[in-house]
Amino acid sequence: MRSSPTVTRRRMLETLGAIGVAAASGVLTAPRPARAQQLGLHESVDGALKRVFGSRPIRDGAGLIKLDTPLIAENGAVVPVSVRVDSPMTPTSYVKHIYIVADKNRIPVVTRVTLTPAAGQAFMGENVRLGETGDVRAIVEQSDGTLWQVAREVKVTVGGCGG
Amino acid sequence: MSDLGKVRIRIPSRIVPGDVVQVRTLVIHPMERIERDAQGKIIPKTYNYIHRVVVTYLGKTIVTFDTTQSVSENPFFSFALRAADPGPLKVEFLDTTGGRYEGTVQIKFS
Repeated sequence: MRSSPTVTRRRMLETLGAIGVAAASGVLTAPRPARAQQLGLHESVDGALKRVFGSRPIRDGAGLIKLDTPLIAENGAVVPVSVRVDSPMTPTSYVKHIYIVADKNRIPVVTRVTLTPAAGQAFMGENVRLGETGDVRAIVEQSDGTLWQVAREVKVTVGGCGG
Repeated sequence: MSDLGKVRIRIPSRIVPGDVVQVRTLVIHPMERIERDAQGKIIPKTYNYIHRVVVTYLGKTIVTFDTTQSVSENPFFSFALRAADPGPLKVEFLDTTGGRYEGTVQIKFS
């Protein structure tokens, strides 16, 4: 079969290449999930991190992030967690997101906090549910896109996730 | 629950202009968990839980929480805020059934 003059092999390859580049750079994929229904999926923690952060490197933020959790949570249904980040909150450099991830939960991503420089300090606290003993991570995304994380193990006596 | 949607906001009693203050907030809400049948399969239905918390101060959004079902019943959140000017601080909770619960406090300087 002879190719028609308008669809040459060269043009075909160019088009396919362009689609490939678009797909790789995320133009064709759906925008980042904004709603919590898409944020909280049933998945493994590795799947969740890959879905939310892609292949971006996550650095160890031990000196930067202060994650406060109880060592032992008697009731997994209510576990207080708080995160404080030693970072300036200026319009040019600030903490954009704080993610709380519970490794052993069936829905690992607990919360995504979006901060603005007007907050004055990168701080958040909340009560989370933990299904069983496991790591709780705080992942911080700065305004330039760098990611930092710390993790702490919480021992859970009675799981609080049900289901 | 007759208290459903009741919002409480706590701010420090004394605020100096320019201070970074910690605000604590809570809403009465069941935050329904995933239910499974005898085979362990998830029962498909719309679970009623808070999926978004929006904090507005002086008309600007300061902090947003996107939450999932891994957050406790009667969810409690705290956050920091730079008290620049006196004015209203509003916290809105949105749930998956379209419920909208909000509370407001006045930031004022003594």
